[in-house]
Amino acid sequence: MSDIIIQARGLKRYYQRGIETVKALDGVDINIHTGEMVSVLGPSGSGKTTLINLLSCLDAPSAGTLSVAGKEVGGMSEEGLTEVRRGVLGFIFQKFYLLPTLTVAENVELPLLFLGRNRDRAATMEVLKQVGLSDRVGHLPRELSGGQMQRVAIARALMIHPKVLIADEPTGNLDKANSEAIFKLFQHLVTEQGLTVIVTTHNLALGYLADRVITLEDGRILKEERGVAHHAEPELSKV
Amino acid sequence: MKYLSLALKNLLRRPLRSILTIAGVALAVAVAVSLSGFNLGYKRAINGSIEKLGFQVMIMAKGCPYEAATMMLKGGTGLLYLPNEAFENVRKDQEIKSITPIFIGVSQKEGSNISGDSTKSFTIIAGIDVPSFRDMKPWMDFKKGTGYDGGRWFAEDSKQEIVMGFEVAEYEQRKVGDTFYASITPKGKPDAVMREFKVVGVLDRTGTQDDGTVFMPIAAARTYFNQPNDLTIIGVKLKEFSGVKIKEFESRWLKLPEVQVVSLEQVKGTLVSLVGTAQAMVAAVAAIAIIVAVIGVINTILMSVYERTGEIGIMKALGARRGDIFQLIWLETLAICLLGAAVGCVLAFVGSQLVELAIKSLINLGVTGSIVYITGEVLAWAMAGAVALGFFAGLYPAWRASSMRPIEAIRQGE
Repeated sequence: MSDIIIQARGLKRYYQRGIETVKALDGVDINIHTGEMVSVLGPSGSGKTTLINLLSCLDAPSAGTLSVAGKEVGGMSEEGLTEVRRGVLGFIFQKFYLLPTLTVAENVELPLLFLGRNRDRAATMEVLKQVGLSDRVGHLPRELSGGQMQRVAIARALMIHPKVLIADEPTGNLDKANSEAIFKLFQHLVTEQGLTVIVTTHNLALGYLADRVITLEDGRILKEERGVAHHAEPELSKV
Repeated sequence: MKYLSLALKNLLRRPLRSILTIAGVALAVAVAVSLSGFNLGYKRAINGSIEKLGFQVMIMAKGCPYEAATMMLKGGTGLLYLPNEAFENVRKDQEIKSITPIFIGVSQKEGSNISGDSTKSFTIIAGIDVPSFRDMKPWMDFKKGTGYDGGRWFAEDSKQEIVMGFEVAEYEQRKVGDTFYASITPKGKPDAVMREFKVVGVLDRTGTQDDGTVFMPIAAARTYFNQPNDLTIIGVKLKEFSGVKIKEFESRWLKLPEVQVVSLEQVKGTLVSLVGTAQAMVAAVAAIAIIVAVIGVINTILMSVYERTGEIGIMKALGARRGDIFQLIWLETLAICLLGAAVGCVLAFVGSQLVELAIKSLINLGVTGSIVYITGEVLAWAMAGAVALGFFAGLYPAWRASSMRPIEAIRQGE
């Protein structure tokens, strides 16, 4: 097995809602290895998004230990978490959050601005080629379909060459064909580039396309299974 | 892609809102620039007009100091006179470098009646002593060109020769050699007497009240107005021009009955105080406009931040630090203020003539020439003020945006 890039032990995230304590995540142990694709499944309220927010350093755990790319992030400040995220983690969300006045290329290059790097049009073209949008460089987001916009969001996440790509319900706004295409793209990035991908989804068929499937229930891991990736071309409708 | 470029593109997302906010800033800046230009131009006009009086000190009959000040610059019909003895006494003062007596009277124009506009119905006639008067105003020269060549001052003992100021000659359409008629009412007589004069010279433009005055020998003027022993003003230049010397001079001659001594500095102060209230009101309007503009800018940027909560969250997720978000929002605010200031400066520059007309129609400023004077320095201050305005207006929205926790921002945006 390859190196562990994210490791969590006894990971908890509690929220206070009035006098009630909500245990969104209640003691999760998890190892994410470099170059694997992991799906997190579970019904609404099972803790999928909470887990992925913690693993991606967007939120801080209430208890437990969490190591990302070799750094212990438990107890880190907001600024500290930002530093861990920068250049290590790439993000994709259900909503694409593309800037409407920027072209496809400019949206993709946006993270470079925050990392203090110069624009690299060749690299931009490369990632757009990977996501199949090399012919949409100068288009504005409103000129794209939902699937194309999510591909731009993926290209934007890939632009900084992250070690881990984290996708929270990336197909929530897409139709079946586009959803399948996005997951196939994830598979491609894992197999061809050795990228680590963590993805949450409600769609079991898509979820089982990963190397490993983690199912959550009531903030705990219900089961861990092997997915179908690398074994055969899946017949999505039957999974 | 740079932060400034991104900030400008963000402003284009809601073009109408951005334009309206920029217009608010532009209006405030235009008012502030116009006001500054007015303050500057008015002081400049006062200084210019007073310098062109040629006197440092005026001696005139006691009366309202405002009236005295404006009469010297704008002319007037409510004239007060002092006796010729005053001139004979004052001219003996050892501190005087030069002195000139002036008699001013008003004549009714041909075909006009007293019930009409006084500025159009009357001509100001100044009786002067040419050598001493020219000594006070050495820059005075005669207009050149066809019909004006050969202009000269009248002979001292002449009764019919006159010299016309630039504007009155244009208004009356008179050239050298023409005849000018004036209806003069001698003091103590019920009826006006029509007098005929010969124009021997037309003066070049001076930008002062002299342009609207008809000059004749002082003796002739006193005779026609039947005031052989009266003077309106005694103009004085001192050997040494200082506050102390003027005070000493003033205290020496205030002992004369029915006489007031007015220095140029006093005239300036009087004229400035005349419009002080108006300036304070305009300043208050400008201040209110600026406050409204600042509130508008803060409101626009806060609304923009609120609408882009999710985007700000994703930017943070993508690696933006607090400072990056702060910089972005702050630049948007600054861009609005700078664009507004630039438009406001252009508006003020273009609209300054309108402002001047409006001010002049509302207030008798007592000066001639342009009273709105917008300099590069004023515009530079306006731009600097806009930067300061943008800096402060942008602080809160930028702080609020940069303080958002990414996960909460993304959640709010969904």
